[in-house]
Amino acid sequence: MTPGTARWALPASLALLAVLALLPLAIPAFWTANILGRAIVYGIVAMSLTFLATYGGFVSLAQMMIAGTAGYAVAILVPGAVPSILGGVPYALAIPTGLLAATAMGLLVGLISVRTQGIYLLMITLSLGVGVHLFVQANIAWFNGYEGIRNVVGPEILGLPFRDTFVFYYTALATAALLYALVLYLVRTPFGLALQALRDNPRRVSALGYDAPLHRIAAFGVAGFIAGAGGILVTFYNIGISPGTIGLGATVNILVMSVIGGLGHPVGAFIGAVIFTLFDTFAADLYDRDRFNTLVGVVFLAIVLASPDGVLGMARRLRDALAPRPQGRADGIATSRAASAGPPASGNGA
Amino acid sequence: MRPGGEETPALLLQGVGRRFGALAAVSDVSLAVARGERRAVLGPNGAGKTTLFNLICGDFPPTAGRVLLFGEDITALRPHHRARRGVGRTYQTSLLFNGLSVRDNLLVALRGARPGRFSWRLPPTADRAAAQLLAERVRIAALLDTPVAALSHGQRRQLEVGMALACEPRLLMLDEPAAGLSPVERPELVALLRSLPRDLTLIVIEHDMDIALPIADLVTVMKDGQVVVEGPPDRIESDPMVQAIYLGHGRSH
Ligand SMILES: Nc1ncnc2c1ncn2[C@@H]1O[C@H](COP(=O)(O)OP(=O)(O)OP(=O)(O)O)[C@@H](O)[C@H]1O
Ligand SMILES: [Mg+2]
Repeated sequence: MTPGTARWALPASLALLAVLALLPLAIPAFWTANILGRAIVYGIVAMSLTFLATYGGFVSLAQMMIAGTAGYAVAILVPGAVPSILGGVPYALAIPTGLLAATAMGLLVGLISVRTQGIYLLMITLSLGVGVHLFVQANIAWFNGYEGIRNVVGPEILGLPFRDTFVFYYTALATAALLYALVLYLVRTPFGLALQALRDNPRRVSALGYDAPLHRIAAFGVAGFIAGAGGILVTFYNIGISPGTIGLGATVNILVMSVIGGLGHPVGAFIGAVIFTLFDTFAADLYDRDRFNTLVGVVFLAIVLASPDGVLGMARRLRDALAPRPQGRADGIATSRAASAGPPASGNGA
Repeated sequence: MRPGGEETPALLLQGVGRRFGALAAVSDVSLAVARGERRAVLGPNGAGKTTLFNLICGDFPPTAGRVLLFGEDITALRPHHRARRGVGRTYQTSLLFNGLSVRDNLLVALRGARPGRFSWRLPPTADRAAAQLLAERVRIAALLDTPVAALSHGQRRQLEVGMALACEPRLLMLDEPAAGLSPVERPELVALLRSLPRDLTLIVIEHDMDIALPIADLVTVMKDGQVVVEGPPDRIESDPMVQAIYLGHGRSH
């Protein structure tokens, strides 16, 4: 991020938060819950991917599965779920347990994939996601197999049911805002700076005294926590969880959100989630239902072709075109990747 | 002084070798660098100088021999463990964190060999002050907030040295620090090298004899992966073998 971007990040983020906080007063409840609310809860999961990809250079396709780990953990524990697997554990305890489970799953995915990069990392995280999906689908005792666990209604908040549109929406918004702030804060700390250093040049990071693999696994743990928070909200939004929630389709949806929104800043995940949700909701009305997926695919392809770095990239280019700055763009993941792409021991060229 | 009368050298290489397939990039190098010594390493392109640094800092293990740091065998240690024991280095081709500012590069370098690498608190004032000081030492203090990707070649080289100093190494290895520096920047570099604390052990790979020889206590000349001459600077300068190497291959940097 250039200092120029950083200067605008806080006021812009606060303005966006204010708009999102006030919007439900002006729009129908359907929009609040099923467009904005839904976009926010899936956006949180997408942000866990954006966090890893933007600051660590790791594209993980296991994030929806990790989100589902938290969702399933809560569904297994809470009272009222159908079928009741363990049941009886209050939400106040079940939710932290779910977050813990997702963090642990994040760490595990990080550990398993620690030696891989690029397409291999993509493949291994995808296999882990699909593997867990298949396992959950086949296991009746713990996950109720194909049908999943229904009637996970969420906790009461201030005496109001979670199903209340506003309770759901504002809880989701507050969670998203906190996690978003956490990410922006974290990347300024020694932990986050070292993560970005790892993205730019792992060899140098090791030579400076950092245990690069350990650092990387820790970053996956953080991303697991974020995905877990999203996963629990997704479960409340859907009033339950089934293998489809963490299947291949859902995994791809998260990737699509992150990419069309644009890597480079966590806000991209939410922009992408809103665009995705709008299309997912209304494209079927505009167009023959059978060909709905084709239309969605074509639109996303068009966005990515027009702007490989998503909507954020488009915005950046627009800004640069309107207010050209002499030093050019130094931010963005592509720049740093390209510059660090050389082979490790390229000691002969200088 | 140890019981044997000999002080343990800062760095001791015993028959160190490294093969890349059929190529012996470094073969059977034995050398001892005393504590606080300034050692220059010379040699033509492809002599194995950088590979030797890579073996010492642990980028890859040697295929033969042992590396001892202050008497401790570090041959099998991974790079970050060596860094924490005091090995610091720069790279011939700058390896910086291009997505970060100069300040953040220095902050990362400062934390590497110290506790708090996983800290979730903003860098303390002490770290920021140390980054400022380092930037002043390598004359890039005006650029602290500049993205590294926007630096000139000379500025990248300065930052490269600043980052190595940030770790407060006991053994500092500089790989052609003067390569690509302007005539103004060169004397500044020499002044900086002269200003380093006397207890720091320094190894410098440098093609430019005007930089290497004035600061060196001893000079090691390598060729084809082996040490061919070792001695004080005045003897090296007039050594026929060295003259042959440098005249024969040209001082290409
Ligand atoms: N990672 C590697 N894989 C394969 N060969 C390598 C590797 N690193 C170095 N080499 C080879 O080892 C030999 C020594 O290279 P090295 O970079 O150590 O030389 P140098 O003395 O630093 O030369 P220069 O003055 O050009 O920097 C060269 O032939 C080089 O091609
Ligand atoms: Mg070299």
